[in-house]
Amino acid sequence: MTDISETAPVTAPDSRPAATAPRLDPSSIWAFRGTLSRRAQIGIGVGTSVGLLLIWEAVARIGLVNTTFLPSPSTVLSSMLMMVQKQNLLQHAGISTLRVWVAFSLAAVMAIPIGILMSSYRVVGAALEPIIDFIRYLPVPALVPLSIIWFGVGESTKLYLLWLGTFFQLVLLVADDMRRVPHEYIEIAHTLGANTRQTLRDVAFRAMLPGLVDNLRITLGWCWTYLIIAEIVAADSGIGFVIWTARRYMKTPEVMAGVVVIGVIGLVTDQLLRAIHRRAFRYL
Amino acid sequence: MIEPYLAFHGVTKRFGDLDVVAQPFSITVERNEFVVFLGPSGCGKTTLMRMIGGLETPSSGAICLEGLPVGGPDHRRGMVFQSYSSFPWLTVAENVLFGMRYRKDLTEQQKLARRDNYLELVGLYEFSDAYPNKVSGGMRQRVAIARTLAAGSDVMLMDEPFGALDAQRRERLQVELRAIQRRDAKTIVFVTHDVEEAVFLADRVIVFSKRPARVMADIDITDRLGAERPLELRDSPEFFQLRNGVLRLLREAAGDEE
Repeated sequence: MTDISETAPVTAPDSRPAATAPRLDPSSIWAFRGTLSRRAQIGIGVGTSVGLLLIWEAVARIGLVNTTFLPSPSTVLSSMLMMVQKQNLLQHAGISTLRVWVAFSLAAVMAIPIGILMSSYRVVGAALEPIIDFIRYLPVPALVPLSIIWFGVGESTKLYLLWLGTFFQLVLLVADDMRRVPHEYIEIAHTLGANTRQTLRDVAFRAMLPGLVDNLRITLGWCWTYLIIAEIVAADSGIGFVIWTARRYMKTPEVMAGVVVIGVIGLVTDQLLRAIHRRAFRYL
Repeated sequence: MIEPYLAFHGVTKRFGDLDVVAQPFSITVERNEFVVFLGPSGCGKTTLMRMIGGLETPSSGAICLEGLPVGGPDHRRGMVFQSYSSFPWLTVAENVLFGMRYRKDLTEQQKLARRDNYLELVGLYEFSDAYPNKVSGGMRQRVAIARTLAAGSDVMLMDEPFGALDAQRRERLQVELRAIQRRDAKTIVFVTHDVEEAVFLADRVIVFSKRPARVMADIDITDRLGAERPLELRDSPEFFQLRNGVLRLLREAAGDEE
């Protein structure tokens, strides 16, 4: 590299400061619809979060707010460590995660084939769309009493509520993914001699896969929302139970510690699935 | 009497109450002939071509290949579309190989040999491992052509395959396609609304009116320009004259619009 710049002595001294100048110029990060390096994006994200935490900590220490209602981040962190040691916080988090994954897998395993069929065969779509649309708009909390009547207060109620919240959303998203597969792909497969089953398996499913994985990631997030509702209503374990118990004794730091754990699990899961998406669909 | 290779026998098509082809359409296409369907956008020429592929069925009449009515789609009648012509999740080589995926009569080895042969033919061998989004639009169309050839199509159906390419790429691909057709001896039915493209590529141009499609002219190009089509042909007065003649016809075909 140095050889090249030295063979052009006239431009080299000028171009060097010019190349570094945009990086130092603070206005360049404000370029309208501009781009930012990945490193800069992570740096800014971490910086903002840390800054917010520091302000929060300061506000709590100075005494601007009643710490019974808004404990400082350091207090929340120390109660979280205490909860890990004395209240089996990690086990509770593990149970919650397990519930989410069981219910979510169940919903996905049912929603994917049904959604695909709805878009592949108009008759299936016509038959199911009204029912699914109706149930989709029912808020899950409204169905809590009914699910307790049906399933009692055991594990099955929680799984049922989670399934309820995700299955009906997911099935329509899957149907949409399949509908968006360009018709050209289907026709290419047919003119290459593929039958319907082969076309579905080798072409249509492959074509919809990136969208499908994205939608699974998004619905998994919703699943967590319903988990807390389910665990607050009827549970003796899980993060929702921990939060609700702490609330009863006005232990705000523990409530917030529980909330933070959910946030962290969500963030990690989401980033993990995004990474998988990037790896699996390099061709995009 | 010798059976024509590919024949439309009084074909009409209606979609609901929309007449796409009202006047019965009858033509015959010889083996290894390059026929271009030329007409205004939306005139029904694409529908007629899709019927050869078995992607549409005639409302009346029949289409016969070697004397037998065509049924549903199969690998003998391959299709090259303008967009979404190759699968983005497969590499260039995998796309070409996919063309033979459902052929039971070829061994794995034969398939690989054919794949390499056709990649070579369309000049994509060195891009074998690239994904379609990493190559140009022109290369993506070559992938589709190679896939169709590898599949063993006797009739290649092309729906404005170069419509989305810039002028230089389009010209180059036209020259190559014509050369491939001459070398590989393929029957091609090619749909376009570009007059120059039609005249440059075709042995025979069928000019359609606006919808409902009706044949305005059936012009033998090879008779006037010969079978070889080097790029320089585009600059010759014969080509220019023929192009203008066809253009005039097409203007009439488009009728009193605008």
